[in-house]
Amino acid sequence: MAPAIAVKDLTRTYRSRSGAFRRKTTVVEALRGISLSVEPGELFGLLGPNGAGKTTTIKILTTLLLPTSGSARVLGLDPARQARDVRGRIGYVFGGDRGLYDRLTALDNLRYFADLYRVPVAKKRARIAELLELVGLTGREGERVETYSRGMRQRLHIARGLLHDPEVLFLDEPTIGLDPIGARELRDTIAGLHAGGKTILLTTHYMYEADALCDRIAVIAAGTIVASGTPSDLKGTVANQTIVEIETFGAGDDVIERLRAVRGVSAVAVETREQAQVVLVQSPVGAEIVQALLRELDGSTLGKVVTREPTLEDAYVELVRSA
Amino acid sequence: MTRAFFSGMRIHVKQFTVNAFDLSAVVLWPILYASIAYYLLDGKNDPELLLSASLGAAVMTMWALVVLGSSGALENQRWLGTLELLVAAPMPFAVALAPITIASGVVGAYSLVATLAWGALLFDVPLSIESPLAFAVAVPMSALAIGMLGLMTAATFVIYRAAFHLGVAMQYPVWIATGLLVPLSVLPAWVGPISWFLAPTWGFRAIRDAALGGPAWTDMGMCALLTVVYFAVAAVCLRVFENFARARATLRLT
Repeated sequence: MAPAIAVKDLTRTYRSRSGAFRRKTTVVEALRGISLSVEPGELFGLLGPNGAGKTTTIKILTTLLLPTSGSARVLGLDPARQARDVRGRIGYVFGGDRGLYDRLTALDNLRYFADLYRVPVAKKRARIAELLELVGLTGREGERVETYSRGMRQRLHIARGLLHDPEVLFLDEPTIGLDPIGARELRDTIAGLHAGGKTILLTTHYMYEADALCDRIAVIAAGTIVASGTPSDLKGTVANQTIVEIETFGAGDDVIERLRAVRGVSAVAVETREQAQVVLVQSPVGAEIVQALLRELDGSTLGKVVTREPTLEDAYVELVRSA
Repeated sequence: MTRAFFSGMRIHVKQFTVNAFDLSAVVLWPILYASIAYYLLDGKNDPELLLSASLGAAVMTMWALVVLGSSGALENQRWLGTLELLVAAPMPFAVALAPITIASGVVGAYSLVATLAWGALLFDVPLSIESPLAFAVAVPMSALAIGMLGLMTAATFVIYRAAFHLGVAMQYPVWIATGLLVPLSVLPAWVGPISWFLAPTWGFRAIRDAALGGPAWTDMGMCALLTVVYFAVAAVCLRVFENFARARATLRLT
């Protein structure tokens, strides 16, 4: 069976000019030749930090941007040259507050987009009711969107993106900015769509989201795909590693550099959690490094020290760091 | 396509009317223009001239609402993030965009009625219409033609992020070139031919001739012709500019 989405050596360069007289051109290479393939019915995650090229990829596939070079196919069609045909068969949902007419009601928004997406009149009312039910907004459709919470807006976005029952759904960071409950509800909706057989390309920078939802993941960093596979495959890249988590307060860059130099250390990452810095140290299984690390941290204020198995997040951090 | 067009009209008129600022402009502008026409011409002695000036002022409002309304609406769509969604819809972009400019023209048609009503109420401007049928056709015909001129100009707004500023810049040149602000007779001769290609010229003439007597149907024919030409040019421009925007990534502000 032909893939639902096929991307080969895709590049995209942004050029911007500034200055009135001495025009200065800035060139940013957002995509540097990515290739990926998504099978029909698959939920594929594109995982990467901000500015990695996730949204650029989605915009090219949804016909909103032209690639600089390379090829892309969605349902066998070229989004650059066959934009109109592609648009009728895909849905596009992005995260955040935007993309809706705030001063109008949810029903006004859905009716308008249903007409724009050629939903037949005879089916329109039933389709809108069905989608409102799916996203849990039944009974609230008569309220103005500006009165909605972020989670409700995001669910309305999903309903809008599904109006014409697209074969492929593109979700660009749909849970961004949502509270934990709103994000969980939305993930449940996405899982339900996947279970119903919808092909979904999801971008996110939340590891647990990709782990929980996706059949396969591609990690993208600086416009390049640095790894791809199932969540288990990616975890496998750090399977022979152990993680030591050390909670510190006020450890400077020099201390972190000293930790990197400790014999047996593969990688060091630092996360800030409230007032504390949590130093994540990777090392091969069996390497006894804890005492050596604590010696280097002598004089620093320490909290908990934990040794654990690596997670997908550790794999992701390692992949992005080494990109 | 027709359904999407009328749905778009409904949604954009609704969008427009829930904005108190826009709505107050629609209410206040006709009063302002009717007052200017009255005091500028001191038209008590010439009621026909006064009515003609009021109609001219109303057509000025119509153009202002179309060009500012459509450029403002487009900038607003960009801020709302809905511009991308209109482009991403399977409909031709012109079908999604035309309702925005024509909705502004429809609101402008209301302003014409309001200008006449205020003129009659406050300044005793005569409301005698020579040919009510021609007048009833001329007003929506002018709104449509001016809306389509707006659509053609709106095509350029798609590629410029500061669409509203561009809209403001386009307001006066059309007022001047169509003789609505100052008579064409006081302008250089080369301005005359330019005015023939601008819908407000024929829209104003159609409404004025229907009200005061004259070849209103010929003027309306010119409005219809320009409507078709504008739409054809706009459809081509929108395709080109849409590709331009896709290449330059200007559909969204972020």
